[in-house]
Amino acid sequence: MKKILIGLFGLLTAGFSAQSQDSRMSLNLNYNYSFPVSNFKSDLVSHASPRGFTGNVMYRFNPLISAGLDFGYQDYYQKYPRQVYNYGQTQQISAVVSNSIQTIPVMARLEVQPFSNTMTSIRPYASVAAGVNFISNNQYLGEFSNASNSAGFIAQGGLGLKIPFVKSNNLGADIGGTYNYAPYNKFGYKDLSNLNVHAGLYFNIE
Amino acid sequence: MKIVRVMALLSSLAILAYGCQKDPLKDMTNEESRIYITDHDSTIQFNSFHTFSISDSAALIENGRVSKQLNAADAAYIQAVKDQMQARGYVLVSKNDNPDLGLTVNRIISTSTGVISLGSYWDYYDSYWDPYYWGYPGYGYYLPYSYAVYQIREGAVSVDMVDLKDATKNQKLDVIWTGLIRGSDIYNASVAPSQVKALFDQSTYIQTN
Repeated sequence: MKKILIGLFGLLTAGFSAQSQDSRMSLNLNYNYSFPVSNFKSDLVSHASPRGFTGNVMYRFNPLISAGLDFGYQDYYQKYPRQVYNYGQTQQISAVVSNSIQTIPVMARLEVQPFSNTMTSIRPYASVAAGVNFISNNQYLGEFSNASNSAGFIAQGGLGLKIPFVKSNNLGADIGGTYNYAPYNKFGYKDLSNLNVHAGLYFNIE
Repeated sequence: MKIVRVMALLSSLAILAYGCQKDPLKDMTNEESRIYITDHDSTIQFNSFHTFSISDSAALIENGRVSKQLNAADAAYIQAVKDQMQARGYVLVSKNDNPDLGLTVNRIISTSTGVISLGSYWDYYDSYWDPYYWGYPGYGYYLPYSYAVYQIREGAVSVDMVDLKDATKNQKLDVIWTGLIRGSDIYNASVAPSQVKALFDQSTYIQTN
């Protein structure tokens, strides 16, 4: 794992930092920590997930506005203690229930940096995104799984800061938070909405 | 080259993410892997029965073929059922002494396709436990429920309870309660008592008073 992370950082920093200031395409890769909220938290997984990443490829139209494609991956998991569940009038099932949910959102994203023309090097931004959320939901009763793959709508709003490492603003850190509204109408569940904090790197690629 | 680099980065991230995924099966003990399913005839008053008898061996139903056997695990399951029934006030008698209830222990195993059709399990129940065994030749079993909610991929232990007291009146052998155990390491004499206890613990209606 450590070697992979070192390799990733090497790839990030080797070759991207010496671009011109006029670069319009940028890539952003973040580690993501996610907190289930709403019905997702009460019905499926209440534990936060430290297993995820987000990223986006953005095109800068002007110093204020960028648009592009946002993607991510998050793994949610929780095991509940053994409990007896009633099915119908006469059937009881005793099981340890484990919920394992993976989400892969792919969204169109719009980002605004309202203070990009000021002298400050730290650039706050706000973002909105919407698209498709690819969902893998495995519910285990004991060791027996009931798998369901589906796709649903997802919308996102976010705030963050971009902190350049170099004067040219071609490489820097990105920290921020997002809220994902993710309806999910399967097995009586209502949503997979979540709050996230992320930290990562951005760099210009063109 | 930049595109290649970006693709390499994204691929690495995807591999990293997949590697970080929590595997529920690796975070599970044998005890946690097991499920216990019980079902019963809701019209039955279980306190109207007082005596029971239990088969002296287990039926091994493997890929649709049945045989009777009594290994250490089978004997442990049979004893555990006796213990649980007696703990709930029922009196163990010989099957020749007109027991109110008959109980069987069954091992269901699929080794061919990894899937057991429980429908065929019930369909051929007469051949596993000939009504003659209970002294009611020519009668059929009546089974009002199934486990169709789940696909069975490996194996199971089931315990079934038959109403013998009302067999003559009903002209059939009603299976009034059934319990199914599935999961890892269940064919083991040392775990049999706890497995059977789990079935009875979630069937609190099985009481003589």
